[in-house]
Amino acid sequence: MTLAEELEALLPPLESRFFGEILVRRDDNGQFVASHRDDAEMMDHLMPAETLAELREIAKFDAAGEYRPLKTAPGLKTGWITKTPSASEFLKKLDCLYPGAFATWISYLRGKHDPTSLRDTLERQTGMYRFAGSISDQMANQIMRETCSPGCLRKIAWPISSECAVSRINPGKKSIPLICTEACTFAVSEARKLVKEAYEKANSPAES
Amino acid sequence: MPVSKPESALLILGHGSTENPDSTQPSWDHADTIAASGQFSSVHCAFWKEEPSFRQIWPMIEEEEVYVVPNFISEGYFTRQVIPRELELDGHTTRRGDHVVHYCDPVGIHAKMTDLLIKRAHEIIDEGVKIEETALIIVGHGTNLNKKSTEAISNQVEAIRSSGEPFAEIIAAYMEEAPFVADWKTLTDAETVIVVPFFIADALHSYQDIPVLLGIEKEMTEAASQRDIFRRNPYHLGDRTLYYSSAIGTDPSLAEVIIDQVAYFDEHYQS
Repeated sequence: MTLAEELEALLPPLESRFFGEILVRRDDNGQFVASHRDDAEMMDHLMPAETLAELREIAKFDAAGEYRPLKTAPGLKTGWITKTPSASEFLKKLDCLYPGAFATWISYLRGKHDPTSLRDTLERQTGMYRFAGSISDQMANQIMRETCSPGCLRKIAWPISSECAVSRINPGKKSIPLICTEACTFAVSEARKLVKEAYEKANSPAES
Repeated sequence: MPVSKPESALLILGHGSTENPDSTQPSWDHADTIAASGQFSSVHCAFWKEEPSFRQIWPMIEEEEVYVVPNFISEGYFTRQVIPRELELDGHTTRRGDHVVHYCDPVGIHAKMTDLLIKRAHEIIDEGVKIEETALIIVGHGTNLNKKSTEAISNQVEAIRSSGEPFAEIIAAYMEEAPFVADWKTLTDAETVIVVPFFIADALHSYQDIPVLLGIEKEMTEAASQRDIFRRNPYHLGDRTLYYSSAIGTDPSLAEVIIDQVAYFDEHYQS
């Protein structure tokens, strides 16, 4: 099945599912419809977003006009609605809001996209991020707890190291999971910051 | 050069930014233009610092054959190290899972960039400006970490000089290595100076950093998309008149350059 066919199968006519902060559904005419889940009660008063460029703009800024570099961060703007009769067009629209999230989920579900451990991600880095790989397990847990958990809606599917077991994420009955199969640039930056702070603390003249 | 690849996907790679909202805009604009042309089965973008990331992109691409074009200015750290590592590429063509991936040259080293830089310089100046008395500065990032990063700019400066364009002077300058763009007043005596940023987007460096280095802004402004007015050319700084253009990568012709890099790949690297 193609990704568009998978999406169509997950959303038969008149069905709806949550996808992060989005409500995706099929209406009476079989059209694919997406809007913010908080707008479910005011469908008739929403601003239509027709083009991919319009949807990218919706995802780019929060309600206060602040830039959202991480699209799966909480805080997607409300007040919009988008419709299309085509599953493949609908997938393109969802990719503007949560880039690649649906494809990642399907690939994970098919067993074709194994998560990459945090240590493998960090040890691969070069340039200014090359020291990030030396984080302790305590720092890794701190990143998950203080950066990933409050800052992103994705469920972590990766282990800290490849030897660690990690639970598989199961499909929800009423939702399409947003999953994280590899630590993103924010987690890598945070790892670098923690390692740098620890190094500076250990080597500061006052402490030596 | 038009190409017809109805079975293939095109993947455009950009840097992206966690701080500036305008960094990916040119890549998306060019992707939308190319997608509308119908030359490829699908057109995607992926970014180093935004989503979809280089690592997230493969599940999104359903075609077997994929052409990857870096929307980067120079061949250097990103195109030689970061992209091959993150996309797991090992040469011009890599078989990777279900995909056959063709890794094309970055847009910035394409020969057409010379004409685009010249066009950009001419289109921002006012009528009556004497080109023969005007200096053209092409400004790039520059970094002492990688010699290749300045090569694209110095090659373009040489190409513009060879083209017979009658500018009084054509100079390369950089943000982070000599000759520094901050020293532009001492790099040329010309009364009128055009500065064209050889960057992909009107983002952090070309829109926010360089104007401060040139002295046309006192401090870093908001991002371009957050301001009502893009620029107020010309700027009068002492006895000098300065024109500052938008980044070369915002020119709509870059969509053609991306396609040209695919055609170049087929002619030169396809086995």
